[in-house]
Amino acid sequence: MRRLGSASQLVAPVALLALVGLAGSFTSRSVQFQFRFALVMATIVIALYVFVGNSGVVSFGHVSFVAVGAFAAGLTTVPEALKLSLSPDLFPIIASAEVGNAMSLGLAAAVGGLFAFLVGVALMRLSGLAAGIATFAVLVITNNVLRNWEAIGPGARTLSLVPETTSFMQGTVGVIAVAILAFLYQRSRWGRVLRASSEDPYAAQGSGVNIYRQRLVAFTLSGALAGFAGGLFVHLLGSITTQQVYLDLAFLTLAMLVIGGVGSLWGAVVGALLVSGVNSLLLSAEDGIGLGFVDLDVPTGTRLVTLGAVMALIMLFRPTGITGGREIRLPGLR
Amino acid sequence: MDALQTIIDAIALGSVYALVAMGIGLVFGVMRLVNFAHGELITFGAYALVLTNHLPLVVGIVVCFATVIGLSLAMEVAYRPLRTSPPTTMLVTTFAVSFLLQAVALLAFGARGQNANVLEKLNTAVSIGDLRVRWVTLVSIAVGAVLLSGTALILRRTDIGLQMRAAAMDFRTAQLLGVRATTVIRFAFVLAGVLAACATVLLVVSRPLVTPGYGFQLVIPALVGVVVGGLDRLTSATLGGFAVGFAASVLGDVLPADGRVFLDTALFLLVIVVLLVRPGGLFTRSRAAWERV
Amino acid sequence: MFVADAMLEIRGLEIRYAGVPAVRGISFEVGRGEVVGLVGPNGAGKSSTLLAIMGMVEPHAGDVLVDGRSLVGSSTEEIVRGGVSLVPEGRRIFPELTVDENLRLGLQGRRSRDGAEEDVEQAAALFPVVREARDRPAGVLSGGQQQHLAIARSLVAQPSVLLLDEPSLGLAPKVVEDVFAALAEIRGRGVTILLVEQRAQFAVGFADRTHVLANGQLRLTLTPADAGDTDKMAAAYFGH
Repeated sequence: MRRLGSASQLVAPVALLALVGLAGSFTSRSVQFQFRFALVMATIVIALYVFVGNSGVVSFGHVSFVAVGAFAAGLTTVPEALKLSLSPDLFPIIASAEVGNAMSLGLAAAVGGLFAFLVGVALMRLSGLAAGIATFAVLVITNNVLRNWEAIGPGARTLSLVPETTSFMQGTVGVIAVAILAFLYQRSRWGRVLRASSEDPYAAQGSGVNIYRQRLVAFTLSGALAGFAGGLFVHLLGSITTQQVYLDLAFLTLAMLVIGGVGSLWGAVVGALLVSGVNSLLLSAEDGIGLGFVDLDVPTGTRLVTLGAVMALIMLFRPTGITGGREIRLPGLR
Repeated sequence: MDALQTIIDAIALGSVYALVAMGIGLVFGVMRLVNFAHGELITFGAYALVLTNHLPLVVGIVVCFATVIGLSLAMEVAYRPLRTSPPTTMLVTTFAVSFLLQAVALLAFGARGQNANVLEKLNTAVSIGDLRVRWVTLVSIAVGAVLLSGTALILRRTDIGLQMRAAAMDFRTAQLLGVRATTVIRFAFVLAGVLAACATVLLVVSRPLVTPGYGFQLVIPALVGVVVGGLDRLTSATLGGFAVGFAASVLGDVLPADGRVFLDTALFLLVIVVLLVRPGGLFTRSRAAWERV
Repeated sequence: MFVADAMLEIRGLEIRYAGVPAVRGISFEVGRGEVVGLVGPNGAGKSSTLLAIMGMVEPHAGDVLVDGRSLVGSSTEEIVRGGVSLVPEGRRIFPELTVDENLRLGLQGRRSRDGAEEDVEQAAALFPVVREARDRPAGVLSGGQQQHLAIARSLVAQPSVLLLDEPSLGLAPKVVEDVFAALAEIRGRGVTILLVEQRAQFAVGFADRTHVLANGQLRLTLTPADAGDTDKMAAAYFGH
């Protein structure tokens, strides 16, 4: 079994993330956004990895947790008057809630984790094809509800005027914190038991492992991290709509994880940063206004084609991803 | 006679969904692969009709069929490395291919819809007794019935059909008997393509505005139907597809505007419930064990 | 053991599953028209050997030759069309297909359709169940009848080499007698047979010679004369 325990394996991903954060702060204003966007994407992908990488079960639905986290953080950091003007029927408790930046992120994590727990209780018995379809269903349902239930949010309208607090500091610290938590989990007893079970379910059951419970733990944790990432996301964009946290983001983050390598934290980080980088490059090449994924109806679609093609090719010919699903240990460190 | 009208319309939509579902079921039977990208067959078939708008109808339909079947065969080749892969890999790969093809469509045709004005005459109505029914509704039901029974006949009466059924039941033993894996799989993809092409033509008559997401929007409910009906058997998968189309049509007519928005939620909640409680599907007799831990 | 005019040759066959050896280099031959048995305890590597011959499992080393032609690397489809047919362990008939449909599937393994109808009739003559239950789903047949069907199904593929994986599995002794009577008929037609059995007594009494496979290696060879020798039979059964 791969050695996942050595702390030196954490150095490379964290160093790379810190490097990206640092380097990005010295670029021009318009490019800075791309860098911060990459860091937030990495947060989402790491969150996704915590579940998919350790359990071996695909989840199409993690963006639901990003979504609820984003809306939770967003709704609690905009003025009440704005909220009521967008949706007059908003629940009073949501309308009046107003918290600071850090609290909003904590709330996002909590909401994401709770939602994931509830979903997980129902779904963690499933694997393979059934899990994929069920989690996809969760994605659709979440989007449908958020988009139409105006008592809990702005519905189809854009929630704007969210304070843009995801600076390089917040973005970098946030993603590194998530990376450390992911690493602590995968080297913990729970994480290792789950990973071993996914590699050999029969042996695991024979040893009395409750796979359902282990998966639920991973799913909840990854949901909380995804919610947190959603908070970072909304504070990066300054606004949020339901379409921004739906199929396109789901595909993008899954592609990032798969291309980087599903099996390792290094893979998640590499995949997220690499794809974000290529994405930004192609975006500038298309000569569009670089606002990330605000509006996907941009006439030129080369980067989507490229992304889709790369993901399909990787899945067909190197399903373990660029990193082969292995962690990396920097030479010279024990 | 509103109720009868609603039912007839629902049967028509159900028939079209059944064609799509059957295509998905055929490929799943022989490869254990749920092709998320099945919808893109419809999208590209529809665009083929758009591009041949100004040409005679027959040419348009031929091009449409050629495009869809050609694309389906291309998928068969592309998916070959997946034959020994776990279902998870298959799922993510077909999802990627679906997204890739949607991106290609977006790149080639733009995001704005384009019109494929095919067989517009079918949109005119004919009076039958008290009812006013559109021609396309009748044609859909007729074509659906012919194709579904035709496919059933092929499966039951021909050698290749027998091989396909055997491969779907026990692929390994079928191989041991000398059944040619590639031939059987390829045939399934061709047949699925034919069914999809027919569905495309029928769909485009009532919904002539073609966008890059045209087929994807359709295949998701069809997939729901297949899963809810019962993935493991072709008849239950097809029946599930029909049921979803039927239900969507009825609910679309019957529900007030407010209720309609949560249709997706209701549909997908049903999927989750079925997956948890009766993973073999609603229309199957036994409870199939589907990768339960 | 060197046999003149060998139809089936196994040379130094090694099979491994994820690095763990299942068959550790065995060699034997089956002459044209001969019946050779392969017995041994569970997990000895008997089924693996048959699967390797059929191309379902890739050998780690060694060769399999039929009529002088190497089979290793060929696809199962090609091997079947080359005249090798396996009656699998547990029969593995298709319970939802009719008896006739099951039989027709066997026809897929023929090199050419010529003479298919005659072979089907011959199979029907040899195995009454084929004639009597033609349009009934194969799942309603008894174990013995299913075994007959499975053999008939392999037979109509016109094999020159017939492999059988534990034909007596799960069957009462009287029923097994019926099955072996049918096999005797087939042997009489000059078909080369490799017979894998866990119940050694059936194989040893029937085959021209029987090899004992234990822990992936060939241990000894028995002849029908040894069928009455309890010590040797115990050795065969337990694989000493």
